[in-house]
Amino acid sequence: MIGLLIVPFIGVSGYLIRLLAMIFFWIGKTGCWNIISGYTGYIDFGAVGYYGIGSYVTAMLMSKGHVPFLVSIFISGAVSGLVALPIGLPTLRLKGAYFGIATLAFAEAMKQIILEFDKTVGVNLFEGPHGITLPIGPKNEFFYYIGLGVMVAVIGITYWIRRSKFGYALRAIHEAEHAAELSGVDTLRAKIKAYMISAFFLGLIGGVEAYWLTYITPHMVFDVLITIQMVVMSLLGGMGTVFGPVVGASFLTIIYELLHRDFPYTYAIIVGFIVVVVVLLMPKGIVGTLQTKLVTQKTRLTQ
Amino acid sequence: MAILEGRNLTKYYGALAAVNSVDFSVEKGEILGMIGPNGAGKSTLFNVIMGVYKPDKGEVVFKGKKISGLRPHKICRMGIAKTSQIVQPFTRMTVLENVLVGGLHGKNLSFINATLEAEEILEFFGLGGLKGMASGSITVPDRRRLELARAIATGAEIILLDENMAGLNPTEIEEVLKLLREIRNQGKTLIVVEHIMRVVMGISDRIIVLNYGEKIAEGTPSEVANNEKVIETYLGEKVCFV
Repeated sequence: MIGLLIVPFIGVSGYLIRLLAMIFFWIGKTGCWNIISGYTGYIDFGAVGYYGIGSYVTAMLMSKGHVPFLVSIFISGAVSGLVALPIGLPTLRLKGAYFGIATLAFAEAMKQIILEFDKTVGVNLFEGPHGITLPIGPKNEFFYYIGLGVMVAVIGITYWIRRSKFGYALRAIHEAEHAAELSGVDTLRAKIKAYMISAFFLGLIGGVEAYWLTYITPHMVFDVLITIQMVVMSLLGGMGTVFGPVVGASFLTIIYELLHRDFPYTYAIIVGFIVVVVVLLMPKGIVGTLQTKLVTQKTRLTQ
Repeated sequence: MAILEGRNLTKYYGALAAVNSVDFSVEKGEILGMIGPNGAGKSTLFNVIMGVYKPDKGEVVFKGKKISGLRPHKICRMGIAKTSQIVQPFTRMTVLENVLVGGLHGKNLSFINATLEAEEILEFFGLGGLKGMASGSITVPDRRRLELARAIATGAEIILLDENMAGLNPTEIEEVLKLLREIRNQGKTLIVVEHIMRVVMGISDRIIVLNYGEKIAEGTPSEVANNEKVIETYLGEKVCFV
């Protein structure tokens, strides 16, 4: 952990700094997804919606309002978190696939709104498919530290939730929602809280990445593949575990990079193959499977 | 004064009245039995009391306050808990954690107090040795007791038992009955839905008989057992209580 703080000073290549920063942001995003979907079992296919909203809020604030970066990203988080309330209230009453479909529809709808809003209303606000250009940002080292901070915050919150009353509520909801409600858990409130926390950080990360990319379009920041990436990384690492997103996101980003370099045309096939193998061999994800093994061993030893 | 009252409760499933104008009341510390053939409306009545369903007519009054219309967790926090017909432990949580959920959320205790209480409750139910086990890996009789333990942990004054003894053998049933009597002696009120006649007749102070959603009889176990209407519509032969 402290090692990560000094990495940029020990003369590593700019490429490595960039790669590490990318990994931090993927861990952050996957961690957000894990807070709602990993803990409660409500599979959110619209996570990119909050990421995209955050990207646009920061982009517009910085390019049109000249608001400082750090202020913009927190406003991004707040806006995404607040949007999650009216979206979550109806959708979190849906079960299973219906929740997934509803959230997927929300993210797609957001993309279409941003794409068509200006033309329909006749204003120059979101710039439709042309996208928005942000001020040129600082060097990769800057985003490296922001990414590190965001990642630590998301993991920290995931850890805190796990040990809190709120975490017990979420886990109980995951296991048997009806029984949780009958045991005094305000299930709707707990789900919405988790959903809003997740959306807040997704919005914040969206804001940071928009500044990093310096140019965003609706097709980029509302890309459903971003959501799918979060899902796959969570599944790989272990849903509902604190360090699952860390392992899953690092693992996938690194093999992506390695294979992309050596097999530029076939890497996607190989990545897909690796993902399938890992999921088949470790259905609870890497961290989840290791945890189960450890617990079984401990139980055997104590008996 | 009755601790819990149902007034003219009616619940429709489409056109069918699953519960039809049922009045009932329970005194504090009482064990009220509820019997009736399949589909008589017992589970529906429980769900109406817990707030899972809203009654179409009538109201549920707990300690003088109307509770129908509130959501289940609110009703649970006020002091009514239910164990389910189909056991629903939080399977990937440990036995202790299952009970903790009740204390943390139903009773709004701090972690330390909830843990202390949960351990006490588990000892009482003879589950102390299993507290570190995943609740998905314990036996059915233990799961049924765990359901009860979780209900007690919510601090409930009234516990609704929906066929808590289904699938248990006679020895296990005796054990549960002993526990139920002890719980009652601690001042709790119980409403018991059960198919096993011997159980209901043996433990209840008073019994309500439902049929097709309507209350057809009410009284002490022997009164109900000798009620012509009950025998005719439900119990079949008198000899089965001997």
